[in-house]
Amino acid sequence: MRTIRQSGRILALILMLSLCGGLVLLSLAGILAPAETVVAAPLNGLSGLFNRVSLSINAAFEELNSLGQLRERIAALEEQLARRQVELIELREAASDYVRLRDLLAYTAPLEDQEFLPADVIAIEQTGIARSIIINRGTRDGIARGMPVTTELGLVGRIIDVSANAAQVQLINDENSAVSSRLQTTRAHGSIIGQASGVLRLTMVDLDELIEQGDLVITSGLGGNFPPDIVVGQVTSVRQFEFELFQEAEVRSLFDFDTLELVLVITSFEPIDLMIFEETGGN
Amino acid sequence: MGRYLSIAVLGLAAALSASFVPQFIAFVVALLSNFTPVLNESRGHPSLVMLLVICWSLRSSLAEGFVWALVGGIMLDLLSILPIGTSSAALVMIVFVVNGVAQQLLRLRSVFLLAITAIATVFLTAYTIIALFLLGYSYDIPSLIRLMLLPTMISNLVAVLPLYAIVRIAQRRLEGGLQIAPHSLTLGTEMGGRE
Repeated sequence: MRTIRQSGRILALILMLSLCGGLVLLSLAGILAPAETVVAAPLNGLSGLFNRVSLSINAAFEELNSLGQLRERIAALEEQLARRQVELIELREAASDYVRLRDLLAYTAPLEDQEFLPADVIAIEQTGIARSIIINRGTRDGIARGMPVTTELGLVGRIIDVSANAAQVQLINDENSAVSSRLQTTRAHGSIIGQASGVLRLTMVDLDELIEQGDLVITSGLGGNFPPDIVVGQVTSVRQFEFELFQEAEVRSLFDFDTLELVLVITSFEPIDLMIFEETGGN
Repeated sequence: MGRYLSIAVLGLAAALSASFVPQFIAFVVALLSNFTPVLNESRGHPSLVMLLVICWSLRSSLAEGFVWALVGGIMLDLLSILPIGTSSAALVMIVFVVNGVAQQLLRLRSVFLLAITAIATVFLTAYTIIALFLLGYSYDIPSLIRLMLLPTMISNLVAVLPLYAIVRIAQRRLEGGLQIAPHSLTLGTEMGGRE
């Protein structure tokens, strides 16, 4: 009797695992996509609501908590502001020169041509292993895989999966993310990769290039995955050893990935597939 | 009834896990990191869906446990980069083991619940890493253990006992027993007799 019962349990397990396997295959083939969109809609709505509520609560508590820090920060910022005002005057002069020269050359800055679509962050990756977010825009809004996602403070990531009304964004601090970048000051090229701890690391920078704390890192546009000149972050520390081929730097994004609320999808940018050249080269 | 309840409960848990819980943990970590900076990099949070599935399947039939595992897994996968059904398979295996072991025990002790939670956390994390690897994502395993698995396990162990008490109340009400014996809700070394 016990053996029969045990066999029944194992049979039930096998059936359930087969069902799950079938679901995985159907999902990978994209057959479940319409059903996933329908089922995920209320879940995304609920998640978005919770996200907004928790962000508001956190923001309120953080303000109370950091009152003392804020005072010090205000003093430091006022000092910085005074210095920046001087720089601003110089930059305005340079900008007017730039506009004049650009018109002269009929040159258009790449970012000015971009079309942005705002989107709310409605969920954070469930597994805790990968770093991604879900936004409330999908194919209905013209979102497609590979589109870059930014905020006004810099690069967030790129779309890796999209349904009718939601899209998954791989953050640039995910370990599997790599962004071709360069330093704004020296134009030295490198690659920004995510770390397990969530910080960004600028790698593959030649040893003879000068990296300084506070340098801005921007996208280079190499590789065709991201448009050039989007801010990625600011260098916080530099690691350089003579016995290594390249130097590295730790980069801090100008925003907190954990408290993202609103992002901008660059809908006009089409990632370039460079695989064709690799295949041709191989042949 | 418990099978239908799973959709609402696990849907709510998945939504909370993808929004409120990580935000709340990030806030607590930010507060505590003033004293212990190592916490600043932590990225673990309680796996509400997995805990609910374990708690429910301890005192339910295997079939009902499987339904909770299937629904819970689908809810998890809808809010992650994994294809639908991936987490369900892991939760089905966890339910199979939990239900089988729980049936052998005359009394369910809190130490058993803690042990099974710890093992299930390790299993689900390892399973997810393998699933992600098969999908083309690779991660630094030692860093994940330090920054993700250990904080997740600690938060799961903290959350599982109160969650079990709540699940038991819900199960008893569903079973029709609206009168709950006060001693059955205590969470000492022993967690109530087996019905």
